[in-house]
Amino acid sequence: MKPALLSVQNLESWYGESHILHGVNLEVGQGEVVTLLGRNGAGKTTTLKSIMGIVRNRRGSITKGGIQTIGMTSDRIAKLGTALCPEERAIFSSLNVRENLMLPPAINDRGMSVEEIFALFPNLKERIGTSQGTKLSGGEQQMLAIARILRTGADLLLLDEPTEGLAPVIIQQIGRTIRMLKERGLTILLVEQNFRFASTVADRFYVMEHGQIIDGFKSADLEANMPKLHDYLGV
Amino acid sequence: MFEFLGIPPQALFGQLLIGLINGSFYALLSLGLAVIFGMLNIINFTHGAQYMMGAFAAYLLAQYLGIGYWPSLVIAPLLVGLIGIIIERTMLKRLYHLDHLYGLLFTFGIALIIQGLFRFQFGSSGLPYPIPDQLQGVIRLPFMFLPIYRAWVIVFSLAVCLTTWFLIERTSLGATLRAATENPTIVRSFGVNVPRLITLTYGAGVGLAGLAGVLAAPIYQVSPLMGADIIVVVFAVVVIGGMGSILGSVITGFMLGLIEGLTKVFYPEASTTVVFVIMAIVLLIRPSGLFGKAATTTAGVESTGIGSSLDGGRVLNVAMAGLVAILAIAPLVLYPQFLMKALCIALFAMSVNLLLGFAGLLSFGHAMFLGSAGYVSAHAAKIWGLPPELAILAGTATAAFMGLIAGAIAIRRQGIYFAMTTLALSQMIFFIAVQVPFTGGEDGIQGVPRGLMFGFLDIKNQLTMYYVVLAVFVFAMLLVHRIIHSPFGEVLKSIRENEPRAISLGYKTDRYKLMAFVLSASIAGLGGATKAIVFQLASLTDVHWSMSGEAVLMTLVGGLGTMLGPVVGAFVIIAMETYLAEWGQWVTVIQGVVFVICVMAFRRGLVGEVAYRTGKPL
Amino acid sequence: MSQDDVILEARDLVKDFAGFLAVNHVSFKVRRGTIHALIGPNGAGKTTLFNLLTKFLPPTKGHIIFKGEDITRLAPADVARRGLVRSFQISAVFPHLSVLDNVRVALQRERGGSFDFWRSRNVLEAYHDRALALLEDVGLTEYAEAQAVSLPYGRKRALELATTLALNPELMLLDEPMAGMAHEDIDRIAELIRRVSKGRTVLMVEHNLNVVASLSDTITVLTRGQILTEGDYKTVSANADVQQAYMGTGHG
Repeated sequence: MKPALLSVQNLESWYGESHILHGVNLEVGQGEVVTLLGRNGAGKTTTLKSIMGIVRNRRGSITKGGIQTIGMTSDRIAKLGTALCPEERAIFSSLNVRENLMLPPAINDRGMSVEEIFALFPNLKERIGTSQGTKLSGGEQQMLAIARILRTGADLLLLDEPTEGLAPVIIQQIGRTIRMLKERGLTILLVEQNFRFASTVADRFYVMEHGQIIDGFKSADLEANMPKLHDYLGV
Repeated sequence: MFEFLGIPPQALFGQLLIGLINGSFYALLSLGLAVIFGMLNIINFTHGAQYMMGAFAAYLLAQYLGIGYWPSLVIAPLLVGLIGIIIERTMLKRLYHLDHLYGLLFTFGIALIIQGLFRFQFGSSGLPYPIPDQLQGVIRLPFMFLPIYRAWVIVFSLAVCLTTWFLIERTSLGATLRAATENPTIVRSFGVNVPRLITLTYGAGVGLAGLAGVLAAPIYQVSPLMGADIIVVVFAVVVIGGMGSILGSVITGFMLGLIEGLTKVFYPEASTTVVFVIMAIVLLIRPSGLFGKAATTTAGVESTGIGSSLDGGRVLNVAMAGLVAILAIAPLVLYPQFLMKALCIALFAMSVNLLLGFAGLLSFGHAMFLGSAGYVSAHAAKIWGLPPELAILAGTATAAFMGLIAGAIAIRRQGIYFAMTTLALSQMIFFIAVQVPFTGGEDGIQGVPRGLMFGFLDIKNQLTMYYVVLAVFVFAMLLVHRIIHSPFGEVLKSIRENEPRAISLGYKTDRYKLMAFVLSASIAGLGGATKAIVFQLASLTDVHWSMSGEAVLMTLVGGLGTMLGPVVGAFVIIAMETYLAEWGQWVTVIQGVVFVICVMAFRRGLVGEVAYRTGKPL
Repeated sequence: MSQDDVILEARDLVKDFAGFLAVNHVSFKVRRGTIHALIGPNGAGKTTLFNLLTKFLPPTKGHIIFKGEDITRLAPADVARRGLVRSFQISAVFPHLSVLDNVRVALQRERGGSFDFWRSRNVLEAYHDRALALLEDVGLTEYAEAQAVSLPYGRKRALELATTLALNPELMLLDEPMAGMAHEDIDRIAELIRRVSKGRTVLMVEHNLNVVASLSDTITVLTRGQILTEGDYKTVSANADVQQAYMGTGHG
């Protein structure tokens, strides 16, 4: 494995009173695409949100590029180059499409230009004048949610179920995007239910259950792990 | 010269101009409120006081530093904004995780403190502030004389409003603000320092109020109370416009100013109430306001009412019996006059608590029931010559009826809007009370005869009167206790806890809230009607909204959602007022401080704290 | 299916959120006495559809027929009174009431309005035994005295189910009853749903196909606001589109 860009050790997290993560350990190497699998409620989204600093009540160690971020607020973590594309997409209805795209401030000059983003997502270019971000279709909103964090220059992307509820053709487009981002050297931690899709983009998998990582394997070994996976995920 | 509907044009345009001036201030102030509300989800009750501070800042800068109008137009809003930022950083930000109502109560407390301090320092009379030389004089128009300064105020306010609108709707900073309003968590995760954005927004909103104050200084006199009444009108403006839109609040502000001006021309008696009447109509037709988006927020005030139905509440019963026993012998030690006042006001506080603690509804306008019942009771006893028991009954019935009307209007909105609506309705009643001859205006109804209760109890005797009041109090306390512990009370609590779930179980929650509102209004009325007979006086004090604020304060001090809290709270606050009376304005300041402390650090209240520690409902 | 068999019907329902069609011309029927599951990935419009059916949201277009009556324009409380009762995705208990009182306030509904503020709540003692029986049904007897807020998540869901059952609804709408539950709890709740479905109809919204596999008679699959397919588990799980939507099978 390449040197870890993200290293999570003994991560515990709480939502209010409820203890969600019970000691998560994972690493994501520089330039790697890693997928978190697991049932609903296993703690995948909480793991992403804890790394991003959105879940504040957390303990253990999270280092990004060697910097300890466990006590940091999410705005500081963002400035260190981590960006989240949340499951609910969080496109803003009071902002038009351009404003949505331009919302996250750039943290360095290594981010993609608007032209590059339009080349990647031609649909967005057509819809850029739309008055409300939420008037876009589900697929377009997902692209917008990914596109806006590509502008900032973040080198670690956390993508929470980007294909959920989308049409196959759009899922393919998102797959191409993720592979392209990997080629550009970005590091991606992905949460997916759709492991067939994930296997087309990911280098490795982690499996979560009850707020812990219970297994991990390489993408190439997916078939060999299918029986186990069926058991874990109940599919 | 032509005339329009029999009105000389000079008068018509003169009033329209005044309307536009008022409208400018409404627009600037409601704009600030809307900006703050959007970002902080808090209704800034301090807004009126901050407007006043803007005017004072200009006055003081001129007085002590010789700084004139133009620099003040910049410096004063900055000063007011800076003080706002300090308040936000040190205290307000600790309340964001709580229900919005606590923000309203906190800023109310701060407003009391600021207004009290300024009154202590500057008295209540107005101080003059000159119009700057460049804006002296008038422009002669074919139909009227237009004072240049007034034209300037209108044009400048309009420019400020449009600039604010442009900043928020058309710039990238504005986009960040709008996004942070929608979803602060995600915006923060993009690397935006949202807490700092919130602080600056509060500073800017408050700065707008300060700016309005500077503009107002040469027109109105600079006085500590100049913000106290305008803020209630602005609340009504905000309820009418709905806070969803920046432009909406600006348009509504100017429009209502104009309507007020027109009313002054055609039906001057209604000019102070017209805004509130419009508010009531808008709420009935379009509950979310003219420009508002339909939003439903459920109130979630922390309640300390604990314990299950299986607990017979024996401790509470013993405590209530003990309280009555103490009150029965209290005249041996304390003045009956003080005790009777405290008991009447305790009824009032209990009525507010019935709504807030058990139905989750914060009424900031209960003084309308207290005061109106007092007037009717006094009138019935004095003019109609009714015996005291019937006079009290008439007063209580009036309050119940008013509760039905006001409740039907107010329950159309939830949370802070409910609070603002009740406040505005009560202000309307206040203005009516000021004007109609029936109430005796400033003098009130004096010399109300006590007479014979039930034909044989001579309540002219102070001690007899006291025990009658105590009996009324015990009756009302038992009634409240029964309401809380009735099948109705159970449904009410479930609505407070989770309204959508109560609806899904088939309860028509609006009807329960209305019922609770009427019951609460009746109890407030009973307190007011009795008080009028006891003190042989019904006056404007009891119908003014500061009285409503006091009742909320008492409830908070004693303990929300407890049976005995409001009683204890009423005694504490009335004792404070009685025994600290010689301190004058400091009483208001101390009340404000108590408010702030309760909201910040002592939300359970005195009785609530005991109940919490012992685990027994009290 | 004969018209008598149909307890609930959605006709061409549309919900338009400012240009976004969350529910896009959806029509389906729920047969009396069945367990009917409505599944689909997040964002498929399940919860919106659910809110339309229970009247918590007004539809932009379309009709909802319950027991032959058009209920499209009725208030939510009125729908509940006709025997269509819902649960909520975010656990809907009355947090600071005791577990027993949570159920009792639902049982109290059959008294009618309960506007009698002058009467002691002791009259509600009559519901005590039934409330306890319901709590026993869902395995909460030992928690009867606890405040609802203090229950662990799974138990809250059970309490919510007991509260819904207290109304003895003809049609129960359950919004993701298994969401966020641990493995063991899922089986328990599934068993519970099967037990309480005797003599009534259940329409449940779920995220996961496999959770409802053994439980439901009919499964309607929703994606992107539209119905993808409908049928029993075998039919639905064999459908290529469903496999695609759920695991990307037939793609990788």
